Amino acid sequence: MKNYIIKRILLGILVLLGVIAITFFLTRVIPSNPAAQWVGPRATQEQINKATIELGLDKPLYVQFGKYLKDLFQGNLGNSLRTKQPVVKELKTYIPPTLELVFFSTILAIIIGIPLGLNSARKKDQPLDHFCRFFSVGAVSLPTFWVALFLQLIFFRWLSLLPLGGQLDTRIKLLYEVPHYTGLLLFDSLIDGNFTIFFDALKHMLLPAITISLYPIGLVARMTRSALLEIIGEDYIKAARSYGLKEKLVMWKYALKNSLGTTITVLALSVGYTLVNTFLVEAIFSWPGIGSYIATAVMSLDYPAIMGVTLFSACAYIVLNLIADIIVALDPRVRV
Amino acid sequence: MNQSQLIKSLKPKYKEFKVSLFLLKKNRLTKMALYGVVLLVLIAIIVPILLPSAQHIDQDANPQQKLLQPSLRHPFGTDELGRDVFKRVLLGTRISLQTALIAVGMALLIGVPLGAVAGYFGGFLDEIIMRFTDIFLGFPPLLLAIAIASFLGPNLRNAMLAIAISWWPWYTRIVRGQAVSLKERQFIKASKAIGSPPRKIIFKHIIPNCVAPVIVQASMDIGGVILTIAALSFLGLGAQAPAPEWGLMVSTSRNYFLNAWWYSVFPGLAIFFTVLVFNLLGDGLREILDPKTRKN
Amino acid sequence: MKKIITLFLVLMLVVGLLAGCGGNNNGIGGADQMDIVYYAYNAEPILNWDPSVMFSNGVIILNNVYETLLRFDPDTKEFEGILATDYSQSEDGLTWTFNLREGVKFHDGTDFNAEAVKFSIDRTIEMEKGASYIWSAVEKINVVNDYTVEFKLSYPAPLNLIASSPYAAFIMSPSAVQNNGDEWFEQANEAGTGPYKLESSSMGDEVILAKYDDYWNGWEGEHFDKAIVKKVSETSSRRQLIEKGEADITHNLPAEDVEALKNVQNVEVLSLPSFTNLFGFFNTEKAPLDNVKVRKALAYAFPYDDVVNYAAGGYAEQSRGAIPKGHWGRGDDLFQYSKDLDKAKSLLDEAGINQGELKLLLTYMSGDEAEKKAAELYKAELSKIGVELEIRAMPWESQWEMAMDTNAQNRQDILMMYWWPDTSSPYSWLYSLYHTEEDILFNLAYYYNEDFDEIIDNAYALSGEDLDASEQEFIRAQEILIKDSPSIFMFDKEDVWILNSSLKGFKPNPAYPLVVYFYDCYRK
Repeated sequence: MKNYIIKRILLGILVLLGVIAITFFLTRVIPSNPAAQWVGPRATQEQINKATIELGLDKPLYVQFGKYLKDLFQGNLGNSLRTKQPVVKELKTYIPPTLELVFFSTILAIIIGIPLGLNSARKKDQPLDHFCRFFSVGAVSLPTFWVALFLQLIFFRWLSLLPLGGQLDTRIKLLYEVPHYTGLLLFDSLIDGNFTIFFDALKHMLLPAITISLYPIGLVARMTRSALLEIIGEDYIKAARSYGLKEKLVMWKYALKNSLGTTITVLALSVGYTLVNTFLVEAIFSWPGIGSYIATAVMSLDYPAIMGVTLFSACAYIVLNLIADIIVALDPRVRV
Repeated sequence: MNQSQLIKSLKPKYKEFKVSLFLLKKNRLTKMALYGVVLLVLIAIIVPILLPSAQHIDQDANPQQKLLQPSLRHPFGTDELGRDVFKRVLLGTRISLQTALIAVGMALLIGVPLGAVAGYFGGFLDEIIMRFTDIFLGFPPLLLAIAIASFLGPNLRNAMLAIAISWWPWYTRIVRGQAVSLKERQFIKASKAIGSPPRKIIFKHIIPNCVAPVIVQASMDIGGVILTIAALSFLGLGAQAPAPEWGLMVSTSRNYFLNAWWYSVFPGLAIFFTVLVFNLLGDGLREILDPKTRKN
Repeated sequence: MKKIITLFLVLMLVVGLLAGCGGNNNGIGGADQMDIVYYAYNAEPILNWDPSVMFSNGVIILNNVYETLLRFDPDTKEFEGILATDYSQSEDGLTWTFNLREGVKFHDGTDFNAEAVKFSIDRTIEMEKGASYIWSAVEKINVVNDYTVEFKLSYPAPLNLIASSPYAAFIMSPSAVQNNGDEWFEQANEAGTGPYKLESSSMGDEVILAKYDDYWNGWEGEHFDKAIVKKVSETSSRRQLIEKGEADITHNLPAEDVEALKNVQNVEVLSLPSFTNLFGFFNTEKAPLDNVKVRKALAYAFPYDDVVNYAAGGYAEQSRGAIPKGHWGRGDDLFQYSKDLDKAKSLLDEAGINQGELKLLLTYMSGDEAEKKAAELYKAELSKIGVELEIRAMPWESQWEMAMDTNAQNRQDILMMYWWPDTSSPYSWLYSLYHTEEDILFNLAYYYNEDFDEIIDNAYALSGEDLDASEQEFIRAQEILIKDSPSIFMFDKEDVWILNSSLKGFKPNPAYPLVVYFYDCYRK
C-alpha cells in the first residue's frame, strides 16, 4: 500500500516534468517570431534583434530549457507577449473566477449526475433508464460553446431573466466596495455579509455554471450507472436484496458506497472537463477567468500565456488525479 | 490451419456476432443511432457530389440576402453573406466525418505500433513508452490539442494532427494490454521459436490480433473527436472560412446571434445530432460487447 | 424521475428568485452615477503604460492622462496649443521653437517646463521603441529658457505634426521617471499633465481614471469626476451594456446591432470617417503578380460595393488612392477601380493566364470580421473568373512573419492590412507602405519605384512650410501607385460610435483613433 502511494507520487512528479518539457518544446517549434511580437506591431528589424537577445532566444535550446526550469521553480513563467505583464501575476487574477466557476459546476455535476446514474442503474432497461441514458449521452454530446449561446438566447434575449455575461453588474461594482479576501467573489461577499453583491454574483454565475456542468453531469451519471450495474450483479447485494432490505437503502448504502472509488475518479475527471469547458465558454460569458485569457492568447499567439494556462491546468489536473488515486487506494474496500 | 480448424475457430465468433446482432436489434436506441450514422454517412457522400464545392462553397455569396429568417426557400435561414445555412450544414457533414476519421486514423497509426512494441518487448522499453503515455494523459482533455493547434498554426490539417497527438496514448494502452496477453499464446511462441524477427511478429501476429478491440474503441471515440474538432474550430484553431465547418459557423454566428438565432442554432444542432448518434451507437456497442452486461 | 423533476423545479425557482432580486436592484444607481462616464472598449484599454513606448490601444487612455505640445484638427488642418502656446519655424525649416504653457503641474506635483519637454522627447528617442522613429529628423533639443524649447533638425520635417502625434509625443514628469526608474511605468503608473489621473487599473481589463484637481485648464463647467474604460470583447455584451444604459459609449459594433440600436430610445449612433483604411497588398516579387496586368485584373475583380455595404456594413467608402477620406492629401479626382469581371478576364488573357491556372493565397488578421467577410466575398468573385483564392486567417505576428520571408516565393500572394497614421501626414501611409525598403517592414507589396520615393520625400520636407503644395505632390505620387497597382485600395473605414444620449460634449478626432476626451464630455 505504502509502496503504491510512493510509486504513484513519483509517477505524478515524472508526469509533471514531462508536461513541462512538452509545453517548452511546443513553444520552441512555433513558426512565429516571439521577439517580433515582444516589441509590438510596428517595430524595426533592429528593435527585433535587440529583443531576441533580451529574451534569450539566441541561445541553444538546452540552455533555454535549463533557464526555463530554473525560472519555473522561482515562480516565473515569463511575461505575456501581449500585455508585457508577468504571466504569474495575470494568472493570479484570472484563476479565482475560474475556480469559482469550476467549483460551482462540479457541485452541480454531482448533485444531478449521481442520482441520475443511480436511478438509471436501479431501473435498468426501464423507460427511466432509457431516459437517463439518453440524457447522459446527450449531455456529453452537446457542444458546450453552443449551449452557452443557446442559453443566452433563451434567458437573456427571450426571457430577459439573466444577464448576458460578466461577473458582476457594473453599477453594483461602482456603488459597493467589492470585498477581496480569497478572490472568490461568492465567498467574499458572504464573508462580508453583502447579499446584494452575493445575489448579483450568483445570478451572473448561473448560466456559465449550468453550461459548463452539462458535460460532467453526463459523465458522472454514465459512470455511476455502469459502476453500480457491476456491483448490483455481485452476490452480497443480491443477498441484501433477498433479505428484503429496502431497495433504496440497498442502493444508497451498499451499492453506491462500494462504487465510491469510481465516483471519486470520475470527480477528478469531471473537474478536468469543467476546467476545459471554461476555455470554450468563458469568453462568451465575458467571464474574467483563465478561459477568456487563453482564448485571447491563442488568437494572438501569446505563447507564455498559453503555456502558463496549460501548465497550471495540467498541474491541477495531475494533482487532482493523484489525490483521487490515493484516496481510492486508501479505501480498504479497494484491492490494489 | 486446415479448413476444419478454421471453421471451428470461426464458429464461436459467428455465434457471438449473431448474439450481438440480436442484442442490437433488441436495443431500440442503439438501432436508431445506427440508422442515424448511416444517414450521416450517406449525406457526407452524396451531398458534396450534388453540390460541387467550387460553385456551392467558393462562389456562394449573396450578401443582399444576408441573415434572412428561416423560410421555405431557406429552411435554416441565411448567414451574414446570404448563404443558405441548410446547404452549408449539409455540406459540413463530410468535413466533420472525414476529419474525425483521419484524426482517429492518425492516432491509431501512432498508438497501435507503440502499444504493440511496449507489450511485446516489455521491460525498459515498455516502461519508457508507457510513462510517455502517462505524460500525454496528464493534460486535461482538449487542452493539449488547443496548445498544439495554436502553435502549429490554425487550419484543419493541423487541428487533425493536434487531435491525433493528444489521442494516441489511449490506443497505446489498449494495444499494450492485448499484446502482453498475446505474447504468452502458443502461436506467437511458435513463431518466435522458428526464428521470426520481432518486427514480423509484431506486424503479422500481434497487431492483427488486437485490431478488434481497438476498432471498437476507435468507433466509440468518433463522437468525441467530432466534438473536439468543432471546439477547435470554434476557438479559431481549426477550419478556415469559408469552409462550412459547423464549429466555425457557430463561432462566426456569435457576432449575429442576438439578431439571427437560426444562424447559431442549426449548425450547433447538427454537431449535437452527429455526436449524439455516434455516442449512442458507441454506448450501445459497449453494452453489447461487454461480457459483464451481456450475461444479464 | 420524480427527483429529477423536483430538481429542475428547484433550479427554475432559483433562477426566478435571482431574476427577481435583479429587478429590485435596478433601482439603485441613477443619481449616484451622474459624474461617472463608462467607455466599453473592444480590447484591453491599455497594455503598456510607458508613454515613450505605447504604440497601440493605449492611446485611448494616455491621451487623457498625458498631453502633447500640440493637437491637430484634421478638419481645419489647424493646430491647437496644448502644452505649447505657440510655435515658429526657421526659414530653412530646420529649427522649430515652441513657447510653453506656464503654470502646468504634473500629477506628481512637479512643474512642467522646457526641461521636461527635452527630457521626455530625448527619452523617447533614446529608448528606440514604439513610434519613436517619428522623431528621426530631430538632431538636438535645446532648452532656451524655462518656457521655451528649440528643436534642431537634420532635414526639414513637419515638427508640428510630429509633436501632435497620438503616439510617442507625450510629455512626462522627469522627476517621476528619475525617482522610480523605467520599470515603474510597466507596473501601471503614470506621470502626466492631463485632466485625468490613474486611479486604478486591473490587468489591462479595466482602467479607472479620476479627475486631476490641479489641471491647468481648471474644472469649471460640467465635467465627469471619473471615467471607466473597460474591456468588453463580445459585441453582444457591448450591445447589451449600451441598451441597458450601463455603458455610456462604445464603438464598432456589427452593422446589424447598430441598426437595431438605432431604434432604441436613449441611444445615439454617430458615424464619421476614421483615418483607417484597408489594403490588399500584392506580392509584386512573385510571378505572375510581378506583371502589372495581372495585378490590374485582380483589382478589377474585387467587389468594392459589396465589401463596403456588407463586409463593412455600409460604414465605409471605397478608397480613392492610399489616403483615407477626410485626411489631407486625399485626391478627390484620383482614379478608382471598380468591379468588372469581363475586364479582369481579358486582362488575365492578355497576361497569358488561362482559366484555373492561377492559385493565390490571401492572408488576413484572425478575429477581424470585416476583413474575413471581404476576403470571402473576394474569393467568390475570383472563383467566377477561374482564379482560386485560398484565404487564411492568421494572428498578425504570423501574418507579418510570413510576409517578411526572405524568399519571395514563400510569402503570401495578397496580404490584407489596415493602416492608420502615426503622425497625421500622407507620408505615414506612402512612406511606410510603398517607399523602397532595405529590410522588409511595412512595404508588404515589396514595391520599388525611385521616382515615387523622390516625390514623397520632397513632399514631406515641404509639408512643414507649405501644406497645400505638399498635398498636391502627395496626390501626384498616388497617381503613380494607381498606375502600378501594387495593392488594392479596398475601403476607408468609418468609426461608428454608439452613445447614451445623455452623454454630451463628445467630439471624436480621427487623428487620435478611438480616443474619447473625457474632459470635454458631460452628462445632461
